[in-house]
Amino acid sequence: MSDYALNQVLYAKAREHKMIDSIGADEVAGYDLSAEERAALADGDLDALFRLGANPYLIRRVFRRRFAV
Amino acid sequence: MTSHAPNITATPAAAPEQRGHFLAGLAELRKRLAATRPDVVVMFVNDHVQNFFYDNLPAFCVGVGARHWAPRGAADFLKIPSRQLPGAVDFGKALLKAGLDAGFDLAVSHELEFWDDVSVPAHFLMPEGTLPIVPVLTNCVAPPLPTPSRSWQLGGFVRRFIDARPAGERVALLGTGGISHWIGVPNTGHINPEWDRWVLDQVRDGRGEALAELSFDDIERDGGNGGQEIRNWIAVLGAVPGVKGEVLTYEPVKEWLTGCGAAWMHL
Repeated sequence: MSDYALNQVLYAKAREHKMIDSIGADEVAGYDLSAEERAALADGDLDALFRLGANPYLIRRVFRRRFAV
Repeated sequence: MTSHAPNITATPAAAPEQRGHFLAGLAELRKRLAATRPDVVVMFVNDHVQNFFYDNLPAFCVGVGARHWAPRGAADFLKIPSRQLPGAVDFGKALLKAGLDAGFDLAVSHELEFWDDVSVPAHFLMPEGTLPIVPVLTNCVAPPLPTPSRSWQLGGFVRRFIDARPAGERVALLGTGGISHWIGVPNTGHINPEWDRWVLDQVRDGRGEALAELSFDDIERDGGNGGQEIRNWIAVLGAVPGVKGEVLTYEPVKEWLTGCGAAWMHL
């Protein structure tokens, strides 16, 4: 569990250039993530992702439509 | 120099009045750029964790490819047709070698796919897509970052490199990014027009050193994580120290999440 794995997930998703609200358990099965990181991805929890060390540009590109602006 | 922001093209109906003003500024910038008849455009830009991930993330990188996607995967979102801009391979490789010889630890890439950093400015400033570009990327998005002072020095080196090139070769410098924006962080969407106007005053008055003296913390506090992109402007300014600039437009556009400016340096 580290922000490297968290960013790996987001980077892979960002390269799909799709807008989504959640990255579910089935999509992150192979990654070394903590329970908190998995929850943040599944919930599209922007603040938690930032707090957990996800790169803000990746958070924005993947979960763009979950932002108020 | 100009800002880049995906919503400039991705949401064309937003902020019509401000968009009109900003695009008028870009139209003037396009006209002036074309009038200089450049043979190559060196573009100081930054990746957005698109080309470079944490497995291999350069502080500085010269793109020496024959073609650059601007955009490809992002085309639908940006509403810019997918296209490749030509590279200037020999120029880029010479710049890379000269940079290393001069003590700048430049990485190299032969294949880059750009997001809004190149795609949006090029859409407006180089619509024909025929001007060869050499992108020089600075890490502005995955701290720790190279210092603004180093960007200033890099610009100075690029200027010396250009001055030593064959007479008759015409080189334009274009820096994109900034000005203030907070992206993907808890106060996403915040803009600081006061800082933006201060930055533009330094550009106008030929006081690029004031920007080069900023710290990461200064910029993060006053310009946001997005403000770190001002390094691309600082590199251009480092190539033309003391030269006064003309601010062509400035609009703090909420809908673009960015204080957007464009400026021309009078040589």
